[in-house]
Amino acid sequence: MTVAELAAPAPALPAPSRAPGAVVAGRTSRAAARSGLLWGYVFGAFVASSAWSYTSIYKTPAEREALAAAFGDNHATTALFGPAPGLQTVGGFTVFKVSVSLMLIGAVWGLLLATRLLRGEEEAGRWDLLLAGRATARGATAQALAGLGTGAVVLWAVTAVITSVVGLWSRVDIKAGPACFLALALVSTAAMFLAVGALTSQLAATRRQAAAYGAVVLGVSYALRMVGDAGLGLHWLTWLSPLGWVEQLAPLTSPDPVPLVPIALSTVVLAAATVYLAGIRDVGASLVPDRTHARARFGLLGGVGGLAVRLARGVALSWIVAVALVGLLFGTIAHSAGTTFSGSSVRQVLERLGASGGGAGAYLGVAFLMLEALIAFAAAGQIASARAEESEGRLDHLLVQPVSRSRWLAGRLAVAVALVVASGVVAATTTWLGTATQPTGIGAAPLLSAGLNATVPALGALGLGTLLLGLWPRAAVPGVYAVLAWSLLVELVGGIGALSHWVLDTSVFHHVAAAPSVPVDWTSDAVLVALSLAAALVGLAAFARRDILGA
Amino acid sequence: MSTGAIRTEGLTKRFGPVCALDDLDLEVAAGEVMGYLGPNGAGKTTTIRLVLSLLRPTSGRCEIFGLDAQRQSVEAHRRLAYVPGEANLWPRLTGAETLHLLGQVHGAVDAAYRDRLVERFALDPTMRVRAYSKGNRQKVLLIAALMTRADLLVLDEPTAGLDPLMEQAFRECVREARDRGQTVFLSSHILSEVEALCDRVAILREGRLVELGTLEQLRHLSALSVDVTFAGSVPDLSRVPGVGNVRVHDHGVRLDLRGPMAPLVRALAAAEVTGLVSREPSLEELFLVHYGKERDDGR
Repeated sequence: MTVAELAAPAPALPAPSRAPGAVVAGRTSRAAARSGLLWGYVFGAFVASSAWSYTSIYKTPAEREALAAAFGDNHATTALFGPAPGLQTVGGFTVFKVSVSLMLIGAVWGLLLATRLLRGEEEAGRWDLLLAGRATARGATAQALAGLGTGAVVLWAVTAVITSVVGLWSRVDIKAGPACFLALALVSTAAMFLAVGALTSQLAATRRQAAAYGAVVLGVSYALRMVGDAGLGLHWLTWLSPLGWVEQLAPLTSPDPVPLVPIALSTVVLAAATVYLAGIRDVGASLVPDRTHARARFGLLGGVGGLAVRLARGVALSWIVAVALVGLLFGTIAHSAGTTFSGSSVRQVLERLGASGGGAGAYLGVAFLMLEALIAFAAAGQIASARAEESEGRLDHLLVQPVSRSRWLAGRLAVAVALVVASGVVAATTTWLGTATQPTGIGAAPLLSAGLNATVPALGALGLGTLLLGLWPRAAVPGVYAVLAWSLLVELVGGIGALSHWVLDTSVFHHVAAAPSVPVDWTSDAVLVALSLAAALVGLAAFARRDILGA
Repeated sequence: MSTGAIRTEGLTKRFGPVCALDDLDLEVAAGEVMGYLGPNGAGKTTTIRLVLSLLRPTSGRCEIFGLDAQRQSVEAHRRLAYVPGEANLWPRLTGAETLHLLGQVHGAVDAAYRDRLVERFALDPTMRVRAYSKGNRQKVLLIAALMTRADLLVLDEPTAGLDPLMEQAFRECVREARDRGQTVFLSSHILSEVEALCDRVAILREGRLVELGTLEQLRHLSALSVDVTFAGSVPDLSRVPGVGNVRVHDHGVRLDLRGPMAPLVRALAAAEVTGLVSREPSLEELFLVHYGKERDDGR
């Protein structure tokens, strides 16, 4: 019996008003539109902050020319971030700054949303209930695709509106038409990867596996585009990559609608294939044979601590690989990026972000903010998975054994802390490897300090998450993610000097020194870690005293 | 201090304004099999989650073998095993891995018995949990609980999803456990299961304990159903002590009898009785009559 059941004063159920067939479309589009709204706001904020920061950092034509000279023809940065034509203009810089990251975020968003709403729903058994009614598998899948499409449209609309509004500002000056085309370019990867996720949801038996198949497609697309853009005379390769098509749209610089043809065509073909495949398989089954049997491996199953490691292993490894790659990337481009970090206006912005000096060190000081954010989100994921163990009822099987609640939660936290520290050390190491190939003159020791410093916000997220898990479990996961998303937004907008000190102080990232451009403030770090520890201890104590709660 | 397997004193749990369990005093003696009955939402699972210290009581207390269920939960849990009605396990572990994990965490496992159980319940332990049907997942949890040979088995609708053959295997296991002196606390909707297995039955309604006793005792509280057929005319039996609900048909009468049978037999001696059948109510009838009545009274 659940609380909800008990508390039910049985309100009269509303009569089913919707046409009986449209239930799936309604459910999916609501979920997708909510997500599209949130991410549209992130997309818009990112575009706005990039345009804004350009106008405040590079004020004079001379500064803009210097930037264009440094990056415009650099094959290394082109391979990583795409071509950079027109860095002398706000539009050119904005596209260069946001397109690769938003393309990747959009693709991941599309993959995760589609696999969650298709394979995830099916895995949870909710699909069975819907299909037991009048809907057919193909009909329901087509409806779900329509719902996902709604999400993409919302994502586009919000991005377009924010970009247009920012474009009204005379210093930015982007007209509504080009702003809408920019938004279309940014959202088109999301649309294609929604379709990819929908297709892999037909192939794989679990949501995780469906997302993994989609990630392979994304990786190959990125690699093809990267090689094509590397200046090796293989530019035609970009035409084989969905990310390459989006790049060829070249919004704000030399807009070309032709690549919209393969983008639209591939999305439609993938969607049609999804609907077709949904009809030739059983509900709950997959087209790629599922490995239902496995040889038993008892290695980590000796107790709750080992179980925590085993459950976190896969996700933790992916995070560590991700921060390693990001670190390597930052390290490799630090030198060329650092050369543009000169001039008094740049200094001003860097100082607002807490960095100082110039060159590669200053660049890395700002770049490490991104690593801090990544590691903090990895930590938030650990809080979410601990809560899921409880809300989905698996924790019951452990707590009815001779296992104290504090021991279980402390074990989960130990694994999370290990992941966070390992991420910091690995990111510092790969950044150092990257910088070592360039004449940056940055040693391993300051980078290692910066790497450890970058784990502090993540430890804060763990402390806050544990506190909420103890006191208000149902708010723990949204609470931690909300604090991190807010903090990241404050940092992005705060860099351009639009925010008061009071607002900046609400960001968890703002309390950590922008190492390695400035020395790590170990005292402030120690205070933050001590506060996190105190929060975690209060959370542990409260967790031991409360009811175990379902979703 | 009591040596009962489970002892609750004024155990109460409120969720906001709703009282899920109200002032429960219950004692399950060591070595007995107690059935715990009640309609949906009566508070059965709440009771069990309080006993397991997954929920914190609003007031009252609970002991397991004399140990405080809340404050000494780790010690208490060494002596019990639990099977929930919903089998949410780690989807990526195989059956064998799950059994290994739960055994390791519990500490003591009778490995030979575990292997026999796997065979008896016809479980394929090499399969991943996510590929198991609901019934197979339930088997994993049953085996995990039984293999510990714990002194107390707390079972919350443990046979949901099992086929009749497996239900039979489960009943054998519970009988074996009782023969070994283990205590079983069985919450169930399947009245035939409770009737077949339980020494005593507790019935819960809207968070309150409404009946407690052996099946015999409960039957005595309830009416015996008596059918009498006659060669000649049907005598008037409505004034016989203990008789009620008299329904006369062609050559006979059907009535309910409470209390001793002697007055009825004396009243029938004068008549030409051709047949007499008396039937004890089944647990299901007891249950339905009880709730039907309560519900009617409530109107």
